[in-house]
Order: sequence, then C-alpha cells, then structure tokens
Amino acid sequence: MDIRVLTPADIPHVQSTNITNLPENYFLKYYLYHALSWPQLSYVAVDVSRPKKTPYDPPKIVGYVLAKMEEEPVNGIQHGHITSLSVMRTHRRLGLAEKLMRQSQRAMVETFGAQYVSLHVRLANIAALRLYRDTLGFEVEKVESKYYADGEDAYSMKMDLTNLREALEDTYADEG
Amino acid sequence: MAPPPPQPLASKERSLFTQVVKNYENKQYKKGLKAADQILRKSPDHGDTIAMKALIINSQGNSEEAFALAKVALKNSMKSHVCWHVYGLLYRSAKNFEEAIKAYKFALKLEPESQQIQKDLALLQIQMRDYQGYVQSRRAILQQRTGWRQNWTALAVAQHLAGDLANAERTLTTYEETLKSPPPKTDTEHAEAILYKNSIIAEMGEDERALEHLDAAAKNNPDRASVMELRARYLLKLGRKEEAAKAYRLLLKRNAEYRAYFEGLQEALGLDKSNVEELKELYADVAKDNPRGDAATRIPLEFLQDDEFREAADQYLQRMLHKGVWSTFNNVKALYSDSKKRDTIQTLVEGYAAGNFSTQANGSTERQTNGDSDLFTPSVQYFLAQHYNYRLSRDLPKAMKYIDEALSSAPESVEYHMTKARIWKHYGNPQKAAELMEEGRALDARDRYINSKSAKYHLRNNENEAAIQNMGKFTRNEALGGPLGDLHDMQCVWYITEDGESYIRQGNLGLALKRFASISSIFEIWQEDQFDFHSFSLRKGQIRAYVDMMRWEDHLREHPFFTRAAISAARIYVMLHDQPDLAHAKLTNGVNGEKMDSAERKKAQKKAKKDQEKQAKEEAERKDSKKLAPVDQNGDPKKEDKDPKGEKLLQSSEPLVEAMKFITPLLEFSPKNIQAQQVGFEVFLRRKKYLLALRTLLASHALSPSDPTTHEQAIRLGQTFRIQTDPPDRKIQEVIAAEFDPVLPA
Amino acid sequence: DREDPAPLPTSAEDRKAAAAMSSLEGRGGDDDDAAAKPNKEIDQEALGKAISRLELADKAGTVAAGEKKTKEKEEVEKRAKIKVDQADVTLLVEELDLSKGKATELLKANEGDAVKAMRGFVRAAA
Repeated sequence: MDIRVLTPADIPHVQSTNITNLPENYFLKYYLYHALSWPQLSYVAVDVSRPKKTPYDPPKIVGYVLAKMEEEPVNGIQHGHITSLSVMRTHRRLGLAEKLMRQSQRAMVETFGAQYVSLHVRLANIAALRLYRDTLGFEVEKVESKYYADGEDAYSMKMDLTNLREALEDTYADEG
Repeated sequence: MAPPPPQPLASKERSLFTQVVKNYENKQYKKGLKAADQILRKSPDHGDTIAMKALIINSQGNSEEAFALAKVALKNSMKSHVCWHVYGLLYRSAKNFEEAIKAYKFALKLEPESQQIQKDLALLQIQMRDYQGYVQSRRAILQQRTGWRQNWTALAVAQHLAGDLANAERTLTTYEETLKSPPPKTDTEHAEAILYKNSIIAEMGEDERALEHLDAAAKNNPDRASVMELRARYLLKLGRKEEAAKAYRLLLKRNAEYRAYFEGLQEALGLDKSNVEELKELYADVAKDNPRGDAATRIPLEFLQDDEFREAADQYLQRMLHKGVWSTFNNVKALYSDSKKRDTIQTLVEGYAAGNFSTQANGSTERQTNGDSDLFTPSVQYFLAQHYNYRLSRDLPKAMKYIDEALSSAPESVEYHMTKARIWKHYGNPQKAAELMEEGRALDARDRYINSKSAKYHLRNNENEAAIQNMGKFTRNEALGGPLGDLHDMQCVWYITEDGESYIRQGNLGLALKRFASISSIFEIWQEDQFDFHSFSLRKGQIRAYVDMMRWEDHLREHPFFTRAAISAARIYVMLHDQPDLAHAKLTNGVNGEKMDSAERKKAQKKAKKDQEKQAKEEAERKDSKKLAPVDQNGDPKKEDKDPKGEKLLQSSEPLVEAMKFITPLLEFSPKNIQAQQVGFEVFLRRKKYLLALRTLLASHALSPSDPTTHEQAIRLGQTFRIQTDPPDRKIQEVIAAEFDPVLPA
Repeated sequence: DREDPAPLPTSAEDRKAAAAMSSLEGRGGDDDDAAAKPNKEIDQEALGKAISRLELADKAGTVAAGEKKTKEKEEVEKRAKIKVDQADVTLLVEELDLSKGKATELLKANEGDAVKAMRGFVRAAA
C-alpha cells in the first residue's frame, strides 16, 4: 500500500472513498480547493500491487487524509486542520490512518510552519477517538454541540506540533 | 465593474447607474432592478441600463428573458462595451463559451483599457484551451500592471501551457531580477515560483541545469519533500548513481511506504530482479528501521522464488494473521498470477488451519506468538474463505466451509458476513448475497461502509427501493429529491451507475438513461469546476498543483466512471433504435414485461401504487417542513427535475443522435477501450457510416484480434457490404477493399 | 448584506465548506488586485527595463511569429495550389462526420487524394 501525496487525478476516487465510508461528503470542487491551496498536505493510501488492466485504470485508493491550513488563524498562529480522513473497512488494522496523518502533519510543520493541528470527531466514533488520542497524541479541547449536519456533537481536538518540529530539525541535520 | 455609460445621463441617473452595478456585484438583485427601472423611466432606451437589467435577471435564473433584453440593449447601443460585455457574460453563464469569447473581444475593441473585460476574456480563453489567445491576454494584463508578481507568473503559465517553455522560464527569471533583495522564507508564493521554474527547466529535458538550479535556489525551500524527490530523480537520470542512492535512502527514511522510492533506490544501485541477495539485504535494512511498516516486507514476495519465497511468505502471513489484519488476502492476491506462488500460499495457510506452523527453511517449528493468538484461527479461516472465493483459486464449497467456521466462532462479525455475501454472489445467487450483506449491515448500523455495500448488493439484486432506503440512513434529509437527490448533489457516481445498470436489467430503460445522463452531467460539473481556479490558483500561488489539475482536466472523461456509464447509455440508444416500442414499455419485468403472469403484474402494480403514494407523502412533508431552499455548489437555487422518470429521454426521436453524445467522448478519450470501440461500431453501422464503423473495427482488432465480438462485428460488416442494393461510392469501395479485407475473418 | 442570500447551512461543518467554496468564486476583478498590494520590494528601475525587454521580446516574438507566418503562408499557398474536388469534400463530410473545413484540410494533407485521405483516417484509431 503506497502512501503518497494526493494529486488532482486521485480526487474522483478519494471522493468515492469518502462517500462510501463517512456521512460528511463534499463536492469534488472542495477537494480541488484543498489540493490546489495546500498541495503538500493531503495524502492517499493506494493499492499498487495489482497490474493495470487498461491504460485508463485510475489508482486504487483505499484511504486518504484531506488536510488544510487555517485560512485566517486567530492571533496569526499558523495551524493545520484535518478536514477528512478515512480508510476502507477492508483495509483497516494496517496502520494506514496513522501513516497518512504523520505524513500530513510533517508537511504542515515543514511547509507552512504549523504550530498545531486541529480536527473534529463525532462523539460516538470511539475508534477514531482512540486513533487520534492514544496513537497520535491529540487532546480533546472541547465539545462543539451540533457540529454535524445531523445534529451530532463533535469533540474538537488539537495536537501541539512543537515536538515534531524539534524532531524534524534533528533530521535535517542528518539529511544535510 | 463598469465605468459610467457613454450616453449622457443626468447626474442623478448616473449615480443610480453606479448603484445598479454595485447592487449586481453584491447580489442585491431586487434593489438593482428597482434602480434600473428608475433610470429607464427617464431614459427608456438607455442600452447600458437595459444590459445591466438583463444581467441581473439572468442571475435570478431567467436566462431567456435576459438574452431578449440584452439584444434590445445592443440594438440601442451597438457601440457600448458594457452591452457587449454583458452579452458575453450571458453566453458565459449559458456555457456557450465560443460566443462569449466573441462578445468579449468586441467589447475589448471598444474599450481596450478595461481590465475587467480583459480578465474575463483571459479566463474563458484558458478554459477553452485557446493557449495563444491566453498568452496575448496575459501579456496585455501584465503590461497594464507590472508590479504584481502574479501577473508575471500568469504569463509564464500561459507560455508554459502553450508549449513555449523557454519563454516561460525567461518570464519568471525576468521578474526575479527585479527584486531588490531575496524574499523572506515565509513568502510561500516565491518559494513555489522557484519550484515551478525548476519544473519547467526539467520539462525541457535539461536535468543538469535543473539540478544546479535546485541546489542553488531551493536549498531551504519549505516544500522539502518535493525538493528531495526532484533531486533524487535528477541525480538518477544524470547517472550519478551513488548520490542518487543516498538521496533515495533519505526519502525512504521519510516514507518507507512508497514503491517509487524503493524502485529509485534499486535503479541507483543497479539492481534488478536477478540480484536477489542484494535486494533481500536492501529490503531487510529498511524493514529493520520500520518495524510497523508493510512495504519492506511485502515487496520482496514479488522477487523471491521457491524456498526463499516460502520462508518469506510464511513469516509475512503469520505476522499479519496474528495481528488479525483483514486486508491480508487482498494484499497478497496479486501474487497469484504466478501459480507456483499461489499454491505455496495455499499450502502454507491450509497448514496453519491444520495446526502446522513449521517453517521448513530455517528448521524452526516454533509457533510464532507475536500477536494475539485469539485472532489467529479466525484470521486463517477468513483468509482461506477469501482465497477459495478468488477467481484464480476458486473452490466455492471450500470457501463456504471456511467462512461458516469463522462465523460460528464470531457470528457478529461484519467482515465475515461480507465475505459470505461475496461467495453467494459467485454462486450466482444475488438474492442470498443481498440477504447476507443486509445481515452484516444490521450488525453495525452506524458504519457507512457496510451500509454502502449492502445498498450495492440490493441493487445487484434489483431491489432499488431497499437500496435507496439504506442509503437514506446516511444522506441528508434536506436535499431536493430525497436520498437520491443528495447522492446526485454529492456526486456519488458509484451508486448512480449501479442504479442505472440495475434498471437496464429490469427493462426500465428510461430510468437507466436518466442515471447515465446524471453521470454525464456530473462530469460536466467537474469540467466546469476548474474555472474558478484559473484565477484562484494565481492568488494562492500554488502553480505546480494548478498545472497538474489542468492536465488532468484535459483528459477527464477517460475516467472509467465516465466510460462505464457512457457505454451503457449508448447501448440503450442502440436498443431504442432497433425496437422503438421499448420507449413505451411500462411494465417493470423483463425487457418489455411480457413474461409477467397476472399475479406478478398485480404485485407490480400494487408496488407501483405504493411507491407513488410514498413519494407524494414525502413531497408533502418536504414542503411542510419549510426547510431551506436547496442550492447547488455555487449557492444558486436548484431547479426541480421535470423528467424524473426519464420518459422524455426514452422517447427521443433520434436515439442514434443521442448516442453520439456519448460515443464522441468515448472514442476521443478512451480509444483503447475495446467496448467503447464496439458500441461505437453498432452506432456507426446503424447510421450507415460504414467507414467510421470500419475505423472502430480496425481499432478493436488492433486491441484484441481474437475478441469474439470483434470477430462477429467483422462478419456483420462484411455481410452489410455484400447485401447492399445500392453499392457505395467507388472510392469508398476502394478504401474498404484496402483496409477491411485484411482483417475480414476467413 | 445580500437581500436574496443563499441560506446559511445550519451546521458548523457545512458552514466551513460553504465559506471555502464562496472564497473560490472571485467574481470581482480589480478588487482582487486592490486587496493584494503590488510588491514593494521591486526595483522600479529594473522593472522598467524588464518591461521594455518584454516589449522587445514581444516584438521579436511578433517578428518570429511573422517568420513563422511566412512559413505558414508558404504552406498555406502550397496547400492552396492543391486542387480539391468539392465532390470529395462532400464525400468526406458525409462519410467521416467531419466539418467542411476539416474535410478540406484532410484532403489537402493527402494531396487531394480522397482514397488516401479516407484510408489514413480509418486506420488512425488502430
């Protein structure tokens, strides 16, 4: 399963993955808006093991993270935001979500100087909560009532990226 | 947007006119109309005012009236750039881009200094891929406003897309040279412009210079990942293997789940499939650094053979199955094209099922215990069920046996239900398949994935109502047209396509056409979507991503999402041509409903009545609930569908003309798709366009000389020529003799 | 304040997406530029020179284009000399779904030989 940056050609299948997995869906143009504003931040997980059957076979997307920078950050503090993340049920337990998130977070720091990253998660989505809190180190900031169109509340979560920034600076010394 | 009108208006009216323009720009349409009417009471022939009124009326959704008014405006003021500009805007909004461009050009001739007209023209030129025209427009815009970086970048983009790479680079350099001091690191527009220029140098094939430029100008570029990738690629292309290898190793440290990096490293080290020992070491090194990674342990299964393969596959499979990774089978099935590997995997996993964990290659008989052994047994059963359900290793009774074993220990598992449903599907029993999927869905009602699968299986079993009810559990209830309306809005291509295909099976060609037409209109929206980015991307400064988007949009309709729907639609039109009666078939069983006995018919009628009542009730509820008026993605109000059942589509008087709307893009964008060529053949043959039919036949023949449909079509074309009472033009006969006879089956 | 406003989505998640979509629209033109100030770090003298270079390049471009034009002209003249039978044009328009212009072009590219033109065309997709 390749983890690589999202390109415009991936978007129809990313959109398809999203509407197959999640209740929050978007027009293709909204994905384009992400890919053309912060092309470094969104990643896809792609099954590349199968040979192409036709010259037109699109990449087989099995997961994606759609991410952005906050356009008008409060107090000018740059920060990233995860708009949407999902992995096909058939491809869970491979750690894809975590790998996608880590690539995206690094690019937020590296390319746009993000200080932290935020996201929303449904109160009832225990699996996602576990991933963000226990695996990745997000903290619950607050509960936003009726955040979703169907009226469900959201945890507003946040992760400080200072440690990542410091770790990256060490790597740069190695990379020269 | 417009300067004061040229015709003399009294000063009060002049300021009113300015207000109309403002009102329009702020979308205060009612106020705008009121002010315009006020002017027109004094000067009823004032062209510019009439034009503005037309523009506002158009924005309110009344395009016909708007065009009529705009014509009046032009008649009154032939020489007004405002009138011509408005005329262009109306055409633009009606998506008649060619006429819009003409009108803008006229307006620009009358008012060469107008930035707004120039910009509107430029946007349409690039949307229409008039590259030369776009270069001219961008040059004019730059000359009017030289101090803005984006105007320079825009000219470079225009030159680049027009294929003039050298001048594109020169334009970017010229701007850089006007800078007094290097921009700060936080200037992302500048940083991106550097990498954009680098990509142009590379596109010219000058890898050496591209590398130099990268090292000199992009050392601290914030898009570090791009810089590292480009550097590795240039080094590799320049044959600087040692440095390239180093660069790829650094990339693998950043991301060890990307094949392109492994392949780059292999190439840099001069390794191919025969260098098994070196490759093993290379992958083992990366695997050591990434204990939780997959690629470094999975990829070697492709180049290892025999005992080495067995050993590596054993380790890989045991590790994954102990962790209970559901996708293990999906992740290895690509290896099955090698039947030896397929058999080895089968033997290994059957061995696990029998409690045999010996790893013969290293003599160890110890059972691997890294992981939860509670997960292991069901994982093995699940793997085997998928294995025996797979095309290249199919044995359905065995698949059923294993999935039932897995289910007996975990009757609540959604995954096992899904697999059992797939096994039923392969047994050719869509009803059992749909039942099983539905059982799975009920086990996890909050998961949309299983909900989607269940809906799909309902559709495969022609239960459209059950399918949409399922989907409705996750769609928004405020959408116009209920759950299906929401799926249209959200461009849910897979569902609409499956729904259409199901209607073909049921002989409901109207609804089938309706669905495929929806897919076509989704692609139109996707093509239109790029429009705003022609200006937005320049503001944002992310130029490489914009160029990527442009190139993707250029061949948007080669996407299988489009091809699949277009082929089906074209086939239906062929059927409608052959059997015009189908357009009036009402019953819903079999292609024309003949096979229904009276009980079935009664049932169908009852169901139809129920559906109708239900629809009416839902409609009433929607109207009652005073929900927000539905809008499209641009915030404009949506129109009600006047042909919800596709009856008008079905009764088209010229089905072959309709078919061409699908055939033309199919053959333009997917010429290598044999089904596209074959359905093209059917349409051309019926239109008596024999040379075009021959063209598709030659294309199919080149793609697959032994394809049975191609063979049959060749025979049919030959017969057509033979039995013609009216022999074709001598020149056509000559072409046929020269081009057709060689492929004509003996 | 719009008087016919598009309804505001009720949920925060939707509002975010709607705001982004409307930011894409960019209806105004000159206003965009007013918001984005010209770069102050530009050396005006250098800019002046750059522009005159651009104009020169423009002229050179026109000259080059002119040369290209003469070449094209020659090509056009050469093609103009090729005799095309109007009956052949009609035949190609009819048989190959081409416009009159395209059909004429195709015939001229094949020295006016209709059979050759049609043979090339039917083989092109294979």
